[in-house]
Formats: sequence, C-alpha cells, structure tokens
Amino acid sequence: MNSNAENLRNFRSRLEAIGEGANGEDPMSDEERVRRAGNAFLREINGRMAVDLETCIHCGMCAEACHFYEATQDERYTPAHKFDPLRRFYRRELSPMRWLFRPFTRKVDAAELREWQELVYDACTGCGRCDMMCPMGINISELIVVMRKGIASAGLAPPEVQALQNEQLTGGSLFGVDAAKLRELVSQLKSQQIEVPLDQPKADILVLTTAVDVLVFTDALAALARIMNRSGASWTLSSKAFEAANVGLISGNTSAQALASGRIIDQAAAIGAKTVLIPESGHAYQALRWEGADSSGNELPFEVLAISEFVTRELDAGRLKFKAAANGRSVTYHDPCRLGRHGGVFEEPRRLLEAMGLENRDTESNRRENYCCGGGCGEYTISRAAPLRQKVFEIKRREFENTGADAVITACSNCRVNLMIGAENARWQKPIESLVETVAKNLTDA
Amino acid sequence: MTLLDFARGPALQWSMIILVAGVLWRLGGTILINAKKDLSKARKEHAVADGLKTIATRSLPAHQFEKNIRFQHFSGYAWHIALFVSVLFFAPHILFFESVLGFGWPSLPNSIILITAAIALAILFALLIRRATHPVQRIISNADDYISILVVIAPLITGILAFAHLGARYETLLAVHLLSVEALFVWFPFGKLMHTALTFPSRYQAGSSYGRKGVRA
Repeated sequence: MNSNAENLRNFRSRLEAIGEGANGEDPMSDEERVRRAGNAFLREINGRMAVDLETCIHCGMCAEACHFYEATQDERYTPAHKFDPLRRFYRRELSPMRWLFRPFTRKVDAAELREWQELVYDACTGCGRCDMMCPMGINISELIVVMRKGIASAGLAPPEVQALQNEQLTGGSLFGVDAAKLRELVSQLKSQQIEVPLDQPKADILVLTTAVDVLVFTDALAALARIMNRSGASWTLSSKAFEAANVGLISGNTSAQALASGRIIDQAAAIGAKTVLIPESGHAYQALRWEGADSSGNELPFEVLAISEFVTRELDAGRLKFKAAANGRSVTYHDPCRLGRHGGVFEEPRRLLEAMGLENRDTESNRRENYCCGGGCGEYTISRAAPLRQKVFEIKRREFENTGADAVITACSNCRVNLMIGAENARWQKPIESLVETVAKNLTDA
Repeated sequence: MTLLDFARGPALQWSMIILVAGVLWRLGGTILINAKKDLSKARKEHAVADGLKTIATRSLPAHQFEKNIRFQHFSGYAWHIALFVSVLFFAPHILFFESVLGFGWPSLPNSIILITAAIALAILFALLIRRATHPVQRIISNADDYISILVVIAPLITGILAFAHLGARYETLLAVHLLSVEALFVWFPFGKLMHTALTFPSRYQAGSSYGRKGVRA
C-alpha cells in the first residue's frame, strides 16, 4: 500500500485537477442570481438569526478572533463584514423596521455576490471562533453559512466546491471514490488480514468512511476496522452509504446536504443500526449529529457518535484496552472546529491520549478557542486560496511549535490533509498524526 | 410656549412615546419571527441555564481573545459605567426621576459627576475617531454607527454646558440638554442603541444553542 506522503501527493494533484477542470459560474442572468440568493436568504433566516442580525453593533472585535484577519490584517476579512449583504437584505425585507430601513439600505446586487464569494468561501472556514468572541453573543458563523447558501443558490460557489457538490449530488461519490473503489480497498485490507464487513444485511453499527480516508489515509480506515473488530461490535460498512463527507454543508446547498444525509439515514434504518459511527471528519459529524435531523425533518432513529466518543465508551465498558504505551512521547491535540467548537467533543480525544500514556500539550488556543486548521469547510479544495491558507498555517505552526510536542495529532482527515499540505509547503517536519491510527496501534492484542 | 416648556412638555411626551412604542415594535417583531425547533438530540439538557449564563459571561473579559481587544473592551466598560453614574447619580437628575417615579436616592457630589461625564465624553470621542480611522471599523460602519455615537455625545456636552452655565442662559441650556436627550430617545428604537435590549436574547441564544451541544459559549 502507498505511504501517506505518496497518497497525499496524488490527492494534491487530484485537487488541482478539480480546480482546472471545473466550469465557471452557472449560466444565468444577474437578475436571476440576485433573485435566487434572496430566496435562499428568505428561506434560511429564522428567528434566532433575526435577533443576531438586529443586534450587531459593528464593534469589529470579531476580526480579532478570525485567523484570516489575523494572518493578513485585511479588513475585508472581518467576520461582521462577511455577512453584510445578508444583513442588508434582512433590513430591507424582514426587519420589523423594514419600512424605515429600506430607502436607506442598498440592495444586494450580483457584483456583490461575486465579491463575497471570496470572503465567505476562501476566507472563512465557518470555524465559529468569532462566535465565542462576540460581545453581543451573535452566532456569526451561522450567518456566514447563510451567505454561502445565498451565493451557492446564485450559482456562484467556487468551481471546485461546485464540482464536488455536483459529483456527490449526481452519483453519490466524491473525488471519484465510488462503491467499486471502496470494495477494492476492502479486499486490499483483507489481504492484510484486516476484516472489514461490507454490506451486512443487519448490524448494530453503521460505520462510515470518507473519500479522503480511502484515497489518502488508508491506514485510518484499517485502524477503524481494527478498533471495531477488537470491540466485538456488530458493524458494517455499506457500499450504498459509506461516504460521511457532506459537500452540501460545505457548499451551502441545502438540498444536496439533505440528500447526502438522507442516504446514510435510510441505510442505517435499512440495516437496523442503533449507532452511526462517524470517522475522523469534523464536518461529517456536524452534518449528521447536529444537522441530520433537521435535514431529514425528523428526529434520527439512531445515535451518532464520533470515533473518539465510541472508543471512550468501549474503554469505559472494558471492551477495549490500551497497552501501556508511555514512552515519554508528547503530542499536541488539534481540536477540529466542527468536532469541538461546533460539536462538543473536546475531552474524549484527550482522555484517550492520556489513557494511552501520551502526554498531550494543548496549544495556547484550544478547545472552544482553538484556531481552525485554516482549510476547513471545503476551503482547502479551493486552489486560488492556497497562498492565503499558507499564511493561516503559520498561526497554527507557531502555536504547535510553542508546545514543544513531538507530534501533532488530530481527529479530522480534512484538518490532517490541510495541515500536512501546509507543513509540506513550509518544509516543516513535525509529524501530523491521526487519533484513530494511534488508538489502533495501542490496543492490547486480546 | 418657551423652548424649555416645549422640551419639558410635548417634546418629552412624544419622544417617550416613540421610544416605548419603537422598542416594543422592534423587539417584539424580531423575537416573534418564527424560531426553528432544533430536532437534534441535545448532549446536555441545560440549554436554559447555559443561555442565562452566557448573558452574564459575555460581559466579562474574553480570556484567550482578550489581548487584541483590550482597549475596546475596557473603554467600553469605562464609558458605559461613567455614563450611567452621570445619569443616575447627579442630584438634579434624581429630582427629575423622583418627580416621575415618586422616590429618589442619594446623589454623588457634582465634582464627581463632572469627572464621570468628562470621562464618558472623552472615551466616546476617542471611539468616534477610532471608528472613522480604523480599517476594520470603517469597513463595517454605516450612518447608524455615527448617529448613535452622536446622540449619546450630545446630552453629555449639553449637560456639561448647562451645569457650567456656559454659552447661553441657563434655561436655554437646560432646554437644549433636554432636547438632546429626547433626540436620543427618538433615535433609540431605530438604531443600534437597541442592543441595550437585544443583547439579552442574542446572548441567551448563543449560550443555549452552543450549550445543548455541550460547548460553553
């Protein structure tokens, strides 16, 4: 099997090819774009957002929480500025004071939607760090998500994001990883004596994976299988619904998001799964754990667990045990935004590291205040944003280095890809590892 | 009717009517927009407590983030406190409140009030200049931001002038001071001064929506 580094190289060229091969804007008139964006805004703005849009006092403190602003000092990257068109739309169309605001509030036009594409896709990963800073308690990242939804509806999502979304929307695959590709990997793993149940008719746990794990981090999938087998759980992967990633959440296409979640929800129901297990992917956790029910319109008939939550539970129940791996090695755990700040999973990964005898040295910003990897929410797929990402990576690198830890460890394959690319570009040698792989390596044999 | 009679009579009444009706309209209209029910299973069922907690904690310095926003944060504390002290503990103001409410409270010496008013005014001027010059604040500012600062600055200036009997007859200065306060009342429901009321539901939402995921907001 290829090494992570070689896989990553292949994946990078695949990413670049998406950018080059993608079409530009969806063809439609500018009036139509503005109309569609407006409809998306109308559909998405709820009471909570109305309060937030009314409350912003334009203090600008949110800029100081934003890694894109910090890295560039470009005032356009101020989070409150990133949702300005949405605020103006709200003031003209929905505010209780709209009769007064309308004549004084400029209408959103197509040129602005184009301009804001960069601000909300290239220069925002929806990490939510600004949400934690805002003195008014405004959920800024949620408003920027609505901006993405408006821009996506206007056919103006960046070409890479658009291409990936179309791929998932039509065939269900991502980066060309379809059922055949999954079967190929499963049989490869089998030849290494790693059993991966595929398409079992009934199972307690439906385990998902991601195209990134199939293409780049095959060891992470192997590790996941080892953990599941060792726990003795009844589990399966499904060739009908194995992809945890949800490009609809990333692009801002609500129906694409619902379709991708729906595939998983239907398959979990079909096999009678009580649990759906999310691999190392932050946004996949958010899409199903916190937004899956809303996407489908019903409460989910199963629980959704991140792999670190599952392992912690199995450890507590005595079904999994760790070798005493303490060898004086230190790591620094990077909290993926959508698993941590947006997901509430902070302590389980740290407990696992401790249980394995590894010393975790938190970065200065951590947990709810952690800096994003810089490429989340699809940002790392956008080729033109590479120089911007690299500047943001320097913030991460500084924080990681200050811990003096031997390695970086994280629980999201997208964070890992992005950090590895950043490190490679910066010729930074620190290993960037996966929690699930570390767990699998440290399990006792019996 | 003298200017003072006007300021004390119809102007005061109408500005109060606009203030109260406007606040109720905007607050009610905002809160009544349909809030979507979250169907996901909460990690913690303490969403109400978390919401209430965030109302309090967002008034505190922001820990990790503090280093970059210290000036804004502490200047914000300082001018709000200085303004409220000037409004609530100046003897003539207390007499006015007593005439409306039927009860009063002890006042602070005039010299202290002069200092607090001057502090509030100085900081507001500094913030006004910052808003006009700082790239981040410039790009997110609109007319509301400037009007809102000016309608708070005006009563401070006219109040200090009336207190010092500077520039005109006392009655005129007092009338102008009252009118400037009434201008603030009239602007209040339409601009960002509304955060005085809106910050409570807004912070509550942040605390409860993050809280149900198990995240302290």
